[in-house]
Amino acid sequence: MQANLGIRARITAPVRAGGSPATVVAAFSRRKAVRSGILWGYIFGVAIASSEISYVKLYKTAAQRSALAATFGTSKATSALFGPATQLQTVSGFTAFKISMALMILGAIWGLLTSTRLLRGEEDAGRWDLLLCGQTTRRGATAQVIASLGAGLVALWAVTAIIAVASGLDSSVGIGVGPSLYFSLAMVATAAMFLAVGAVTSQLAATRRQAASFAATFLGASYGVRLIADAGVGLHGLVWASPLGWVEEVQPLTSPQPLALLPIAAFTAVLAVVAVRFAGARDAGASIVADRDHGEAHLKLLYGPSGLAIRSMRATVIGWWVAIGLSAFLYGLIAKSAGATVTGSVKGVLSKLGSTGTGADAVLGACFLIEAILIGFIAAGQVTAARTEESEGMLDHFVVRPVSRSGWLGGRLIVALVVLVPSGVAAGVFGWLGAATEHTGLSFTSLLGAGINLVPPAIVILGIGVLTFGLRPRATSIVTYAVLGWSLLIVIVGGFGTVSHWVLDTSVFHHMASAPGMPANWTANGIMTAVGVTAALVGVLAFKRRDLQGR
Amino acid sequence: MADPPLRTEGLTKRFGNVVALDHLDLEVGKGEVVGYLGPNGAGKTTTIRLLLGLCRPSDGRAEIFGFDCQHQPVETHRRLAFVAGEANLWPSLTGAETLALLGRVHGGLDEAYRDELIERFDLDPTKKVRAYSKGNRQKVILIAALMVRPDLLVLDEPTSGLDPLMEQTFRHCVHEARDRGQTVFLSSHIMSEVEALCDRVGILRDGRLVEMGTLAEMRHLSALSVEARFDGAVPDLSAVPGVSAVQADGSAVRCQVRGSIEPLVKILAAAGVTELLSREPSLEELFLAQYGGDGHAG
Ligand SMILES: Nc1ncnc2c1ncn2[C@@H]1O[C@H](COP(=O)(O)OP(=O)(O)O)[C@@H](O)[C@H]1O
Ligand SMILES: [Mg+2]
Repeated sequence: MQANLGIRARITAPVRAGGSPATVVAAFSRRKAVRSGILWGYIFGVAIASSEISYVKLYKTAAQRSALAATFGTSKATSALFGPATQLQTVSGFTAFKISMALMILGAIWGLLTSTRLLRGEEDAGRWDLLLCGQTTRRGATAQVIASLGAGLVALWAVTAIIAVASGLDSSVGIGVGPSLYFSLAMVATAAMFLAVGAVTSQLAATRRQAASFAATFLGASYGVRLIADAGVGLHGLVWASPLGWVEEVQPLTSPQPLALLPIAAFTAVLAVVAVRFAGARDAGASIVADRDHGEAHLKLLYGPSGLAIRSMRATVIGWWVAIGLSAFLYGLIAKSAGATVTGSVKGVLSKLGSTGTGADAVLGACFLIEAILIGFIAAGQVTAARTEESEGMLDHFVVRPVSRSGWLGGRLIVALVVLVPSGVAAGVFGWLGAATEHTGLSFTSLLGAGINLVPPAIVILGIGVLTFGLRPRATSIVTYAVLGWSLLIVIVGGFGTVSHWVLDTSVFHHMASAPGMPANWTANGIMTAVGVTAALVGVLAFKRRDLQGR
Repeated sequence: MADPPLRTEGLTKRFGNVVALDHLDLEVGKGEVVGYLGPNGAGKTTTIRLLLGLCRPSDGRAEIFGFDCQHQPVETHRRLAFVAGEANLWPSLTGAETLALLGRVHGGLDEAYRDELIERFDLDPTKKVRAYSKGNRQKVILIAALMVRPDLLVLDEPTSGLDPLMEQTFRHCVHEARDRGQTVFLSSHIMSEVEALCDRVGILRDGRLVEMGTLAEMRHLSALSVEARFDGAVPDLSAVPGVSAVQADGSAVRCQVRGSIEPLVKILAAAGVTELLSREPSLEELFLAQYGGDGHAG
């Protein structure tokens, strides 16, 4: 036995040179956080720039700007949903109104997903075990990862600010460096707060998913509180009860209130300290809120890889469907009144954006682009889920049993379609319900068609993703999201008519007609579907021929 | 003559410049328990991933029950079950759910035997995988492989993380499998495990199969272990022909001898030996002799 142990110790590989496990984990999480911060900073920056530029191009005259301010500036509904609209007759006021809420929510989602992933997710995956065997305590490790998240936040702010400043300096926009920096800071403030919220829920919850859903519930509540505060029912003071309300009170670009940054900073700092404290107080892998570690066996869907995939993603997918249905319903609701403010010259610009319609249908066509983007994200998520199943080693369990590789991947693709098609249908049906509520006069069939029209670009993204998965599995996620990000950028920038059609053609969304403003182009849709399916089939063939590859 | 459970011909795998497996020729007969021994990085896992069709060979081929591992993976997988050294399972499933899923995917599940195995390995199947220790996750994949009673068990360092009691249970299960006529291919770097379980052993080093034989044959091939104790100073044995792995420890010395023992005995006698012990080496010592004093390859 003695000799056996001796040899075992000698044969076991020594710890890899190049730093203690603690610094390796810190470096790993910092790299992940900073990369993600840069990517999202780019998205935030482009959103700000495109909003500023589109306002300048769409509303050229003072009369047009006043009309806009008169319509939306007094609407209680839009104020409740998107925050108060002040100074819509200026680029600053419009930009603050148009994208603040979207970026605040996106930033919060980025924050809670990033921190739960790098804290709870890494711990769940067992990658902290090595670390915690050494001298590092759970508390120290948590503090290190929180510092990494801070670095990611700085990256997010820096990239957002660079793009916002550059766009603000454009002579037609004319927003100074200071206001642009301040606005960028306000836009990443929710990211900071929800990084901290995610850090705390990572200690409370037993799994990453649970940690993210605790944080998301808090986000929902914050949004709800400020919605009531902004609904014009005399409860504006409630705005101070919501972290999203604080950001709103910072009032960047309109009438800056730097004092409102105080509660934001305090909230973030206190939660970071609480997270580190909680981390020190709990056991390895355990959680503060007890989770059910035992369960009855539910075997209904557990017949194979596809059934398991449906089982494990069903909550997320239903969440997506609800988000798509709800937003489409809202777009349907506002389509009529928004369509009425579209004046002659604006129609010209809208038609450049691809809408030939005259009012509500044109507005819905433009809004449905956002649904198309969401559905594109779902498609990309399906591909990366397949890749994760391979890289984390779960796929091995299937393909060492009598499951063929093409059977597994084909099953995943069918599951993906079963998720994507109803997403488009949900957009159409709920868009119609919203429109019908306001007697907008758009037919059910035209909106259902407009909804299904959103699916083909997602199929192209799915196909390109699967092709990458087959040929270069480790690049799957980056290529798939790059195609999506690029398509998004081009379709936004291309709206101003300055981009050559060769470049425009590289965006999957450019090939989709803006139904219902325009008739859906079923030929183009057929071609996109064929391209996506062909790419996917080639990807399946390549996947059959290659080695399985881990992380 | 029926097709052998496992056969490879010139099986080779290169990763860039690294030759992970170099022209492996191997045949495992029905009902055999074959050990596949080698230090970390020797190429054991690579071999097994090639056998399972998870990797494509750079050269050569492998067959399981006559089916080509690369081109007919599904046919080969119907006849075998595999246990990896690291169990990455779905954290949100319970042990019972995981076993049900894997049993259904494989087919041919023997439910009574499954329940017996759960009992013997002392697994709580109502627990979720994320709450299991590494050893418990390892038990899940062991049970999942054993419970379908495959014709061939392919095991890649299957006992990592198991406590000694469970390692004993595992050995019983392998013996039972052999008694039922199942074939076992067991990769390991733990000598005692291979010694206790296997009829034949292959030793892999740097991707090359350097030895293959029964335990008896390997002993014959190898050196004799000698321990000597002295009154006075310990003589220097390193230059004696046929002697290797010399370890001096105070007034005692240990070494191995290949070929003739005469030169060594002469020197020992001249140095005034007071105690002399010689015996057949254990597999551990064989391994040391194979790789010199340093357990690492390369
Ligand atoms: N996917 C891979 N890419 C590159 N090199 C690899 C890969 N897998 C294994 N190797 C190399 O092949 C050799 C054999 O590894 P492996 O089969 O895992 O050894 P063992 O299982 O005996 O410890 C090692 O040098 C390892 O670094
Ligand atoms: Mg190995």
